[in-house]
Amino acid sequence: MSKAMSQNERNEAAKRNRKIKAAAQWILAIIVMIIVVFPIYWMLISSVKSQEEILLAIPTLWPKEFHFENYTNVLNRGNFAKYYYNTIVMTAGILVSQVVTGVFAGYGFSKGKFKGQGLCFIIVLGALMIPIQVTFIPIYIMMANWGMSDTFMGLILPVAVSPYFIFMLRQNFMAIDDSYIEAARMDGLGRVGIITQILAPMCKSALFTVILVTFTDGWNSYFWPKIIAMNEKRRVLTIGLAYLQNTFAGQETMNNHEVMAGAVLAVMPVIILFFIFQKYMLTGYSKAAMK
Amino acid sequence: MKEKQINPRKISAIKDFCCVVPALIFLAVFTYYPIVELFRISLTDWNLLNDTWNYVGLKNWKWLFAGSGTKYLWNSLRVTILYSIGELSITLIGGMIFALIFNRMTNSFAAMRAVVFMPKYVAMSSAAVVFLWILNTDSGILNYILSVFGISAVDWLGDRNTALISVLMLTGWRCIGYGMMVYLSAMMGISTDYYEAASLDGANGIQKFFKITLPMLSPTTLFLFVTTFLSSMKVFQSVDILTQGGPYRSTEVFVYNIYRYAMVDFRMDRASTVGIFFFFLLLIITVATMKISSGNVTYDS
Repeated sequence: MSKAMSQNERNEAAKRNRKIKAAAQWILAIIVMIIVVFPIYWMLISSVKSQEEILLAIPTLWPKEFHFENYTNVLNRGNFAKYYYNTIVMTAGILVSQVVTGVFAGYGFSKGKFKGQGLCFIIVLGALMIPIQVTFIPIYIMMANWGMSDTFMGLILPVAVSPYFIFMLRQNFMAIDDSYIEAARMDGLGRVGIITQILAPMCKSALFTVILVTFTDGWNSYFWPKIIAMNEKRRVLTIGLAYLQNTFAGQETMNNHEVMAGAVLAVMPVIILFFIFQKYMLTGYSKAAMK
Repeated sequence: MKEKQINPRKISAIKDFCCVVPALIFLAVFTYYPIVELFRISLTDWNLLNDTWNYVGLKNWKWLFAGSGTKYLWNSLRVTILYSIGELSITLIGGMIFALIFNRMTNSFAAMRAVVFMPKYVAMSSAAVVFLWILNTDSGILNYILSVFGISAVDWLGDRNTALISVLMLTGWRCIGYGMMVYLSAMMGISTDYYEAASLDGANGIQKFFKITLPMLSPTTLFLFVTTFLSSMKVFQSVDILTQGGPYRSTEVFVYNIYRYAMVDFRMDRASTVGIFFFFLLLIITVATMKISSGNVTYDS
């Protein structure tokens, strides 16, 4: 009898413990959430405030009036419309060239057979260890000599091949059984056909994840565009925003509301993608790198 | 006649090779050739402002290790290491704590996890200007919140003692959710059998964490350590927007040091010399971490 009681009590205690743990997790999670979300909230809220409001001694948590003209100001006076165009063309260029070279090289290194394959692959892996932060000086000089500073070519060419992309695709293509390839060859498919009709569809989600990571990295890239395209003509959003920060907020007056509007404009496409393709993007960086 | 016949397997091999050729050419031109060029430029006195240049032997190397460059080299090395330690602590320890907090498999927690991970996708430049605004000495919200608690305004980015901390706040905000996601996906892989067996032995939650969770996650920790360490060595963008390496070079990380020599001083020779040094540094770190990671780590087979 007493033993049954104690068993009962123990169960009760365990239940209570679990409830306390759940409550603690909820409270901590909400506190963490508020802190993490705050900078994004502050960016959005500040971007629609008026200049007087943004400089108030006591910051307001909700804007008194909504000033959406901050956005049109940034797009026109801040020339963000042009930066948008530059960023879209650059990102598209990087994406297309990295996908095309990556898919073919991924095929060559996984399903192809040729002499020196191992050595060639080591060349690719070695390139993973040499970031553009090391090599940018000679590349910059080379591009300048070819008349490619402040051009799309200058922005895209040095990053047109991604060893990471090649590596990821090779790993995924390797996992596909050779019998599929053999069968496709019997049916008279060439290499392009095998890649587009067999390998790519079978690695759809992995391919899509890598493409999303490539898009995000291209869109958000800063270091190389800063070196090669500082001029207005081919300035991309990330550089344009830093430039806006220096001119609007620094030299003119305190125009932080417009700088915030620029920041919102620069991140919007990627954040929208993030919410649409959460499933892929949550694992994107981690899963991709783990393999 | 027979000799002229081409082996079909040879044709196939050539075609396969052609698939990888474009990538190899690009890597040769834009990754390997520049390394050779860096070596060559480091032996010259090339200043972009002058029309001509000459080979000067090891003069730049002397400048770097026993000249006016030495001071700044060690400074940037020190700042980079401090930054790396900061980013590693935030990603590993903070990521682990976040993973424990958000380790509930319900829809509401999944949604909250997604939100905590989101900053990773916010472009660094946007995040940096937002932090500039939050950390603003006169009108920033952080100093306002501090003033409510009676703490006087801090010049976050203008004070050499807080500038690096400010940069790390931004970094932490962007990478802590990443650490969390990586740890969480590894935690889900740990078999519940271990925990049940430990419960039968009367282990409490803290004991379970240190005896089971932490050891089982050691491959994940190592992975996070290696990738975070290598990427933290290359930090540039946050520093460029927040502090431009200042005040008094207190946030001048390695890449910023090279950038300053090349794009501000136009001293390609000096920038290349530091660049080569940086290249070897990354190489040593990569090889060392690869050696370590092939060593002792607990794996759940």
